[in-house]
Amino acid sequence: MAPWMSSGLIYASGLALTAGSITLLYIVTRTFNFAVASMATIGFYTVYTGVTLYGGLPYQYYPLVFIVGAISGFICYYGLNRQLLRRKAAEITLMMSTLGYDLVLLSMIQMYTDYLTHTYKLFPRRVTMSLFDFELFGDRAAAFILPAIAIGFIMILHFFLTKTKFGIAMRATIENPILAGASGINSDLVYLISWIISGGMAALGGSFMAMAMTGTPVMGMYTIPLMFAGAILGGLGSIYGGILGGLVIGLTEYAGVFLLSQRFGPWVLGYRMGIPLFIMAATLLVFPRGLSGIPLTKYIKNLVGQKRGVNV
Amino acid sequence: MTSNESFAEKVKDLLTSRILYLGAVIVALLAFLYFSRSISIILTILIQVTIFSIITMSLNLETGYTGIPQFGRVAAVIAGAFAVGAIPGRIMAGFMGLPAGVEYASDTVNFKVVPQINNLLASNWLMSLGFLIMCIVIAGAAGAIIGWLISRPAIRLKEAYLGISMLAIGDFFMWVGHNWTMLVGGSVPVNVPDPFRMFGPDRFNVIVPVFFVLAVLIFIYLNKLTQSPFGRNLRMLRDNDLSANAAGLNIVKVRTQSLVIGATIAAIGGGLYVIYTGSVAAIGLTRLTFTFWPWAYMMLGGIGSNIGVFMGVFLLTILRTMIIIFRSTWFGFLLEVGIDPLWLEYTLLGAVIIIVILFLPHGLVPEKVEPMLPSKRIKNVLEKRQ
Repeated sequence: MAPWMSSGLIYASGLALTAGSITLLYIVTRTFNFAVASMATIGFYTVYTGVTLYGGLPYQYYPLVFIVGAISGFICYYGLNRQLLRRKAAEITLMMSTLGYDLVLLSMIQMYTDYLTHTYKLFPRRVTMSLFDFELFGDRAAAFILPAIAIGFIMILHFFLTKTKFGIAMRATIENPILAGASGINSDLVYLISWIISGGMAALGGSFMAMAMTGTPVMGMYTIPLMFAGAILGGLGSIYGGILGGLVIGLTEYAGVFLLSQRFGPWVLGYRMGIPLFIMAATLLVFPRGLSGIPLTKYIKNLVGQKRGVNV
Repeated sequence: MTSNESFAEKVKDLLTSRILYLGAVIVALLAFLYFSRSISIILTILIQVTIFSIITMSLNLETGYTGIPQFGRVAAVIAGAFAVGAIPGRIMAGFMGLPAGVEYASDTVNFKVVPQINNLLASNWLMSLGFLIMCIVIAGAAGAIIGWLISRPAIRLKEAYLGISMLAIGDFFMWVGHNWTMLVGGSVPVNVPDPFRMFGPDRFNVIVPVFFVLAVLIFIYLNKLTQSPFGRNLRMLRDNDLSANAAGLNIVKVRTQSLVIGATIAAIGGGLYVIYTGSVAAIGLTRLTFTFWPWAYMMLGGIGSNIGVFMGVFLLTILRTMIIIFRSTWFGFLLEVGIDPLWLEYTLLGAVIIIVILFLPHGLVPEKVEPMLPSKRIKNVLEKRQ
């Protein structure tokens, strides 16, 4: 694989998970989660701490990353989001509250990096995580492993949502919260689980992205517009749409920068953020409801000749 | 009728007392800072307060009165800052026969050209005044253009979608400024000619009152604007856009007007900030400083209340400054493990947002529902009609 392609794949699978996390939380709780930025950075620093202090490969810390992200989501739900959801706060208020949480997390990340620098004499402010990677088939192993993990994660999520009892209850709450409550589903638990899953997904996504880019304390802060772009491109209607949106945004950024810089010269690199945003604007013009708004499933269903419930 | 009036009076009394109480707290904090440090701290706080109150009041016009989730305030600020960094200096350089084209922003030319312009400005107070006015006009014009451009796609989107798109636009602007070296020097900050150069060491003592007067003028303008029928339209749109539409209001037009006015004022704020710091560093115009801090100021002060916004800016700026200047005495325990207490600024920002949302949803000085005209004048009008 060409270097841009392997980096692009790593980056895009990270972005897909973060965009999926934003979408999941939006459809369940109507909250645009700004804190995904810092949760992603927390994920990266969990891996970094593990690798530098205890050795080993980055991949073995991913379960821990998921747990740390899930805890940060849990705290946000119990400390903040729950009260506001009960109050039926406006969408903007929900969004601002996660922004406040994000900034508190950001300050903690900054303090933590200071602490690492002082106590362990590390350099955690500019980290190239790919140095800790190994080689596989003449390429970086992350280019194969991370997309595989992302696909596996999405498959588990799909299994959870469609085959388990709680997953089906969760989908019911998403479809119609009042009716789901009337039939005895504990919506509080559904919200909590979705915060936990989405926190874990965000942290995992952040640790993936750090394998392709320079890891800094403000890494999440810089990439959050792209995560949102992925979620919006996916249409905010289904988790799979969000994941696909993130994938498209990540890949077009790397492919677009590569192609344009070959054509026009290296100055294009500085404007790389414009490419995914342009793609987002163009897609929204053609399909106002995002990628998941394309009636693809309808065509397939017509072909297969069966009707099923609404996808999540 | 009488019970209504007495109720209104009660509400009014409560509000005025809150403002007085807050004012007392602010004065006490300022006095504490003055006696523990020096007057220069007070001046720094005042400059920040004036610039950020201009920016926050413009945000309040768009978010507090019109209900647009403006998460891209930094875009308009950047427009003003870049315009002041790029255009007035070039005009002066062209006027003096110095390099004024693309090479003006180059890091090998700029630091030679700007001092010459400064010398000319320092020798002539009328020219300095004209230069300051030109900067403000150019910043405002740039802001208006950007505000209009942003409003085109923005009026079609709703709520959170709109906020996110604006956030992305603001970030993109910052990167353009950081990379396009011809505009404001890219990663090397471009210098801005200083209209306050003739005051030499007293520069700050002059900037503070000048900026303060400008902020007060904008405050009066916005107060008048929001009390006018136009302000009523804005609130109507915010509270229920469907009924506003049914009442014959052109929603697109009103939203565009609000966005353009807000962007103009924010851009003036950005221009003044650049004049104060004396250079334009694109990477410093971040969404954290110029979008999230103004949001926190506005939420603390009270969304939809101009005086509240002013109080919010004052209070939070003092707290921020206190963290910075007392970091070694108050937070020494953090320094011992190598943590820079400056990060507590972020904690403060996040904590203020969370606390306000959870416990003070209407801010310190809540929005006051007031009649369009003072009640005495309404009575007079009614009596005359009879």
